Amino acid sequence: MSASSLAPQNSLEVASIVRDAAARRQSIEIIGGGSKRALGRPLDAAITVDVSGLSGVTLYEPAELVVSARSGTPLQHVTDLLAQKGQMLPFEPADYRPLLASTGEPTIGGMVATNLSGPRRLHVGACRDAIIGCKFVNGRGEEIVSGGRVMKNVTGYDIGRAMAGAYGTLGVLTEITFKVLPRSHATLTLVYEGLSCDRAVALMSAAVASPFEVTAAAHIAEGNRARTCLRLEGFDASITYRAGRLIEDLAEYGQPQRLDAAPSKGLWREIGEARSIIEPADHVVWRLQMPPSRSAALVNSLRAMMDVSVLYDWAGGLVWLSHAPGDDVTAVRTAAKAGGGHATLIRAGEALRRRLSPFEPQAPAVEKLARGLKHAFDPAGILNPGRMYAGI
Amino acid sequence: MTQIAMPQPDPLILAKRERIIAGLKERVPAQWVITEEDERRPYETDALTAYRRLPLAVVLPGSTEEVAAILSFLSREGVKIIPRGAGTSLSGGALPQEDAVVVGVGRLNKVLDVDFTNRTARVQSGITNLAVTTHISPDGFFYAPDPSSQLACTIAGNIAMNSGGAHCLKYGVTTNNILGVRMVLLDGTIVDFGGETFDQPGYDWLSLVIGSEGQFGIVTEATLRILRACEGARPCLLGFDKVEDAGACVAAIIASGIIPVAIEYMDQTAIRICEDFAHAGYPLDVAAMLIVEVEGADAEIDVLLTHIEKVARENGARIVKVSKSEAESAAIWKGRKSAFGATGRIADYLCMDGTIPTGQLPYVLTRIGEIVAHHRLRVANVFHAGDGNLHPLILFNANDVDELERAEQAGNEILELCVEVGGCLTGEHGVGIEKRDLMEKQFTPVDLDQQIRVKLLFDPDWLLNPAKVFPLNLHPLPLGRAA
Amino acid sequence: MQTSFSLAQLADSDTRESEKILRTCVHCGFCTATCPTYLLLGDELDSPRGRIYLIKDMLENGKKATVEVARHVDRCLSCLSCMSTCPSGVHYMHLVDHARKHIEETLPRPFADRLMRAVLATVLPRPELFRLSLFAARLARVTSPLLAALPFQWAKRTVAMLALAPDTVPMRSPYSEPVTIAAEGPRQGRVAMLRGCAQGVLAPEINEAAVRLLTRHGIEVVFAEGEGCCGALVHHMGKQEASHDQARRNIDAWISEMDGQGLDAILITASGCGTTVKDYGFMFRDDSAYAQKAARVAAITRDVCEYVLTLDVQPPAMPSRLVVAYHSACSMQHGQQIKTTAQGLLRKAGFVVKEVPEGHICCGSAGVYNILQPEIAGRLRERKAANIAKVTPSVVATGNIGCMTQLAGAVGVPVLHTVELLDWASGGPLPRKLTKNALFAQHG
Repeated sequence: MSASSLAPQNSLEVASIVRDAAARRQSIEIIGGGSKRALGRPLDAAITVDVSGLSGVTLYEPAELVVSARSGTPLQHVTDLLAQKGQMLPFEPADYRPLLASTGEPTIGGMVATNLSGPRRLHVGACRDAIIGCKFVNGRGEEIVSGGRVMKNVTGYDIGRAMAGAYGTLGVLTEITFKVLPRSHATLTLVYEGLSCDRAVALMSAAVASPFEVTAAAHIAEGNRARTCLRLEGFDASITYRAGRLIEDLAEYGQPQRLDAAPSKGLWREIGEARSIIEPADHVVWRLQMPPSRSAALVNSLRAMMDVSVLYDWAGGLVWLSHAPGDDVTAVRTAAKAGGGHATLIRAGEALRRRLSPFEPQAPAVEKLARGLKHAFDPAGILNPGRMYAGI
Repeated sequence: MTQIAMPQPDPLILAKRERIIAGLKERVPAQWVITEEDERRPYETDALTAYRRLPLAVVLPGSTEEVAAILSFLSREGVKIIPRGAGTSLSGGALPQEDAVVVGVGRLNKVLDVDFTNRTARVQSGITNLAVTTHISPDGFFYAPDPSSQLACTIAGNIAMNSGGAHCLKYGVTTNNILGVRMVLLDGTIVDFGGETFDQPGYDWLSLVIGSEGQFGIVTEATLRILRACEGARPCLLGFDKVEDAGACVAAIIASGIIPVAIEYMDQTAIRICEDFAHAGYPLDVAAMLIVEVEGADAEIDVLLTHIEKVARENGARIVKVSKSEAESAAIWKGRKSAFGATGRIADYLCMDGTIPTGQLPYVLTRIGEIVAHHRLRVANVFHAGDGNLHPLILFNANDVDELERAEQAGNEILELCVEVGGCLTGEHGVGIEKRDLMEKQFTPVDLDQQIRVKLLFDPDWLLNPAKVFPLNLHPLPLGRAA
Repeated sequence: MQTSFSLAQLADSDTRESEKILRTCVHCGFCTATCPTYLLLGDELDSPRGRIYLIKDMLENGKKATVEVARHVDRCLSCLSCMSTCPSGVHYMHLVDHARKHIEETLPRPFADRLMRAVLATVLPRPELFRLSLFAARLARVTSPLLAALPFQWAKRTVAMLALAPDTVPMRSPYSEPVTIAAEGPRQGRVAMLRGCAQGVLAPEINEAAVRLLTRHGIEVVFAEGEGCCGALVHHMGKQEASHDQARRNIDAWISEMDGQGLDAILITASGCGTTVKDYGFMFRDDSAYAQKAARVAAITRDVCEYVLTLDVQPPAMPSRLVVAYHSACSMQHGQQIKTTAQGLLRKAGFVVKEVPEGHICCGSAGVYNILQPEIAGRLRERKAANIAKVTPSVVATGNIGCMTQLAGAVGVPVLHTVELLDWASGGPLPRKLTKNALFAQHG
């Protein structure tokens, strides 16, 4: 579709490309590895700018818990580097390639642009929470710095954090700095079997409201037998104690199985990737965020209307849901909204993504502001135009 | 008297003062519109008393709707607005101007709703930070950000400044703990950003609003993420004979794979000041002290503290003293959290708030000592060591004009030093008026221009807290600069 | 905080003190959070920091008090919660006392206001007059519904005043005259006890219980010839001349005992009075004739609890286990910084003591505050009563007559002075208010 494809090697080149495009009012699609290109509204841009050339970790200070990487750096490269020093990105970014049936190498920039956060988001916050600084090129082709490399920084507005989840519509990310955390010494997952969605959400809520620091809580409703999973991380003595207390306090939900580190790791990766609901491949997939106590009721109400596959993460705050492409797609969003939540269409054919806003429509006052914000960063409206909402 | 310029009051606004007051009284019961000079006087400043400006009037609305009516009226009249929480800003965030109306949220101090299942609390923004935790603590929950002024400061102010606190090493700052806000825009529109869910669709408005220093609108309600407290928490005191050793110990603890809930640093001057007030059992004969707090069940705490003691001893700690009771822990924190106020016992002070990469601690501490000595002043250092957020308190005599000027000069040099070593001007207090003119040390004109463009979206006429954050030469935006 | 007083202004002793206090304040605002009026009103002007600023402006510029400044200073309860909170050690009490004096001297108040203050200042400190007025109040109470309907502050104040008068006026106490009560057994010590003014009329049983408790433990108690009101009531109205006269009379009375048979301590059973007597040294710092004497008196002045703590009071053989909510009077916890003494004594005496949530906030009594500021006082009383109810006590104990009167009708259980319970637990008679109480009958 794109008339031309450019591959800048540094931020100066990015700026120059954007400046030229702005002058010519040519729209730009920003891509990294292209693994999440199918998220959001389809784009018809004049130019494709591939930032994979902006690669490499520019700063890593393990004792200061900080890492900086250029936006095109493969995510895997960063996580490997951190792992060597026993550290990690706190928010456990997941790999969406299985879900989206995509290829390509997920990058740091794509992760930030989509605010990609996995199961540990429940406990330590999202990708956006770990961002402490960022460099980007705005729609005028200017290189902008926001934040820095220190943990606490309120100097000026926090515009760098707002780049998270903006899907490249406010600027082309060139470098991002994150707060990192030590990996836990040990991991244990408690798996409860056979709970209904209501009971599972109640269990997860009770676990998260306990003093025992559950770092992830998910309910896999599909498969032969539903599994409700609680993850504990820390050092051995601590985990043993916390697991014991949790099992005791949650005895009414039955006796859980214990998964130690290695199987835990695989399990939570699969949960992050929503593996349990991605088949069949032609089904529509939604990612719903709900007040946890209302997620099971939401699912029950939808089940009365259609066949859905469901995976709960974040103790019920996140619901992955898939259904056949022929079902009533508007019902999902209506139900989510009625429950105080919102729905994002993650996987659907291009036609549906053009017809139905993949992202939850906004209140008029907020939409007006969103247009204004887009204009404040990208006055010519050339960066990933329409990727999130029509007109921004 | 001080070095930072304020804009000249607008004579047109001053001339229609009576009309403005009458308009306010139509929208809010008259008893909550403060007009007499005597009564406006206490509103002329906040916790940075070096700067004072008598406002045109003060209004204390009692509801979101009243705030909306006031903002809509004042913006139509072209009147500047200074939002105010409890007036505890250390950066002059609530400093008025002669042609501005102070809009205080002190009366909006209720808890609206607590949802323990979904772990959220909806509050009016004028409630104090600590009152939230006090309200939910009988059920074992707490609101995590804990600025030292948490007893008095409001959630509204915390949102404006993206406040941190001692325990944000583990729990993050305000922006990491707010799920939603209700904000009144300049034209009186009431908008909700975020809500009860973890993330929000569309742009991350909370990132922008939190830390916008009252320049985007007035937040009247907030939905806070509340957390279940661990079974217990225990601080220990580590005493060092060398300042550098304390700095090295901080890095060593973190590098060893443990993130304590808090790591606080105090030098000898600060220790003595605080001990005098709190009687917390601080060691008085050490050069520097760390307060390190860990959480969990007793057994977990014991393991962590044993580990920390080992690291501390390896790094030259002479004294390791673990709190033995709740009362002792409370006293340890009372001392630390009262450090600024307690300094008032011996001198006036300017409180700096730069953040540095923690690896630079020893160098920066040495340079701070030199800078302050050069200006013939004294300093007390107390700060959040785990995240490198420094609070050098420059001690001076406010009744000596020359000393105040030297103190401000020393403060500027310290902040420039912070930027030089890769840090920033302010970690949690906000830019306010105090650091406004240093912004160009940290940002390029293009960076600042981008921030200003965001401001203009909310406040095209520079009416909301206008003299703060951006150097005066950068506004109003000259015609033609906008794209 | 920066100040700008001229050398001429600083020649005045009160101004010099105030300047020192203002210089200590760093305007951090911590005090606002624990100030009862700020909690209710949310206005900086009704917070300690706001008042400090109003006072600073008034004093620095040598201004006469305005109605506005007086309004906010009048609303201050002088509970001194701010002094407990203040990390900088700002002596708010001396500053606000100075301001009140300045207001009294420079602001002509409206006639009704002046009349009310004059009546209170005349009647309350004089036990005989006060006794008579209580009888009168009972009769006058029939007018309350009429008065309450009037839109005037004086009417509201009068209603509040009439409401505070007890239903029955107690018999005159034997301790309303100068008298010495000998110790039982060998004398271990000798103390003077303040007879005081209103308390002796409203609740003579307090001093009676204190005397029994003390004499039973070998302490001789003297009610000195010539003493009377401590001066606090008029002091808080800014009437310095009157308060100093009253204080001087007490100092003379006690000094003569100290120099005669000697005193180990001067005991006060009302913490409000205690706060003032302990401050006599400061009040007379510039009075060459009285400075030294006042300091001597202040030095040996103790709340009765502080003194009882030094005695060997044995726990009872049969602890009552009665659930007692301890309401710490502001003058106790903030004014005198006595935080745990009474609670400890009560626990040792076999009571189950519960701390009241939000215990640092005033009940609204504050001397004559509940008469002069009936709305705020009423809201604070309700708030306090609700907090007390949370611990579901059988009885409330406190150490100040003002709080007892304020809370009496609001909490639904008897309100007693700490020494009444201590006396009972160590062999004294059952307190009168308990015998009348049905709830207690269950426990008894």
